[in-house]
Amino acid sequence: MSISNNYIWELAEAYLAGSIPISELEKLQQRLITDAAFANEFNEATNLIRSATGSGKQKRFKAMLRDVHQEQVAKVANKKAKHIIFTPEFWRTAAVAAGVAILTSTITFWSLKPSLNKNESRYNRISREVTGLKIAQAKQLEKQKQLELDLDSKTKKNTAPTSDVKKTGTGFALTNNGYFVTAYHVIHDENGYGDSVYIQNHEGQYYKASLVTFDADADVAIMKIDKAGFRFGKGELPYTFNQAKASLGTHIFTLGYPADEISYDEGYISSRNGYDGNNMQYTLELPVGHGQSGSPMVDAKGNVLGLLTAVGAEAEDKTYAISAKAITSLLHKLPDEKNIKLPKHAKIGYLTREQQIDKMEAYTFSVKVYKK
Amino acid sequence: MQSQFNIEQQLLAALADGQRAATEQIYRQNYPIISGWLVKNGGSSTDADDLFQEAIVVLFGKAQDTEFRLTCSIGTYLFAISKHLWYKKLQRQNREPVALHDNTGDDEDETGIAYDDDISTHQEREEHYEQLDAALEQIGEPCRSILKAYYHHDKSMQEIAADFGYTNPDNAKTQKYKCLTRLRKIFYSEMN
Repeated sequence: MSISNNYIWELAEAYLAGSIPISELEKLQQRLITDAAFANEFNEATNLIRSATGSGKQKRFKAMLRDVHQEQVAKVANKKAKHIIFTPEFWRTAAVAAGVAILTSTITFWSLKPSLNKNESRYNRISREVTGLKIAQAKQLEKQKQLELDLDSKTKKNTAPTSDVKKTGTGFALTNNGYFVTAYHVIHDENGYGDSVYIQNHEGQYYKASLVTFDADADVAIMKIDKAGFRFGKGELPYTFNQAKASLGTHIFTLGYPADEISYDEGYISSRNGYDGNNMQYTLELPVGHGQSGSPMVDAKGNVLGLLTAVGAEAEDKTYAISAKAITSLLHKLPDEKNIKLPKHAKIGYLTREQQIDKMEAYTFSVKVYKK
Repeated sequence: MQSQFNIEQQLLAALADGQRAATEQIYRQNYPIISGWLVKNGGSSTDADDLFQEAIVVLFGKAQDTEFRLTCSIGTYLFAISKHLWYKKLQRQNREPVALHDNTGDDEDETGIAYDDDISTHQEREEHYEQLDAALEQIGEPCRSILKAYYHHDKSMQEIAADFGYTNPDNAKTQKYKCLTRLRKIFYSEMN
């Protein structure tokens, strides 16, 4: 090839981006007229880049379109089902009469369990207790991770503490410089606080964190990574917070750590209020596991609507989430509130789900509580 | 929330940009009418889904040209494109074409030809992209993954450098150019 590889592509990219200065542009046009071999190469390069860019953009658009289609179809189906079958009044009466209404996969299919013992707790927190065998396994894993970390880079000093992991949950960033939120019961239970709290991010690195403030009733804890100059990700948070009450049927998804691996789940808001009619909560149709306490509940446009806290004890068929309002009102009570500025825009609003997950991974992490 | 885009041209620009809110609005406003029409005219609901999505992709493709201006509303355009697509599909299946009910007004005659042009441009583009995808499948790794990450998944060179283990974005960029050179060879040799 007569012309260096990089040159022709750099030129083609600059040309398509419109970043070639006018004086250079004139020279280029002159050369395209006089040098046929160069012109051929230049045209092929620009056409190829144009096609690849257009094709990629169309692929993303088509994926998004399929997603929109599914969402709209689901919305229509949901509306129809509700209008035909239930009125809210009927719901309330049915629920009271039975003591407990168990939801299965959709609102239209539900059954009552008359044999339920009312004294039994119907509400289980979904942090993950790490006991016995699990501790051994966790230790093993931790050792492995640590080995990998040590091999990975000697400059990374973000090591795990040596004491035992007692409990794990999930947390997500409030600001890129280290503030994050999790469920209060993850870090504090009937045995009090753990000795220390660490987060472990999607790359396996550990960072120590301290409690900033909490609301035990709402089950919200705001924490901060201790390390100076810490950043969760490269840019501003990809999501935003929406404290307005979201509509019934809103499709939501979550990222969390039921185990050491990040997990994705999706579902929808099945009731405007939460456990026992708590209006600072939502009830969700969403499959979750222990360890997902504190996970973000996000709508299709990248708005964080809440924070997962618990599941119904009976068959764990209902999931409860704390409304984002509980987070924002807690932030408002902080004296140095000015330091915590929540992101105003969701950068992932128009992305495909795969891309949204990809962008959110760095801001969602496992929260580990250690105690000797 | 119902209508974030007041002017059709704004809505179209947002669609061309791939914005989800705009796509949702167009979907809400047009899908029920068009699928209803199609089902009345011998199509299934799956046909309606496919057809409507293809019609939106035609519009998306058209709108990539910033000079493009609609001469009718987005709704009328989508309806006309959908009808033409359906008509073509029936022709391909060699079935008797169902008479086109003209409930969108004046979409036939000379404008009908314009819709046909838009559809054939769209189909040519699809073929072109398919050929490019086929070439991309042949260039081997890591080139295929790097180019897909950059063009299909819209990753930055920084992200690619990190994901593929290059020490800095410039090295990744040099690799990307090598890959493009390979892609170009395969793509243009097949064309000729």
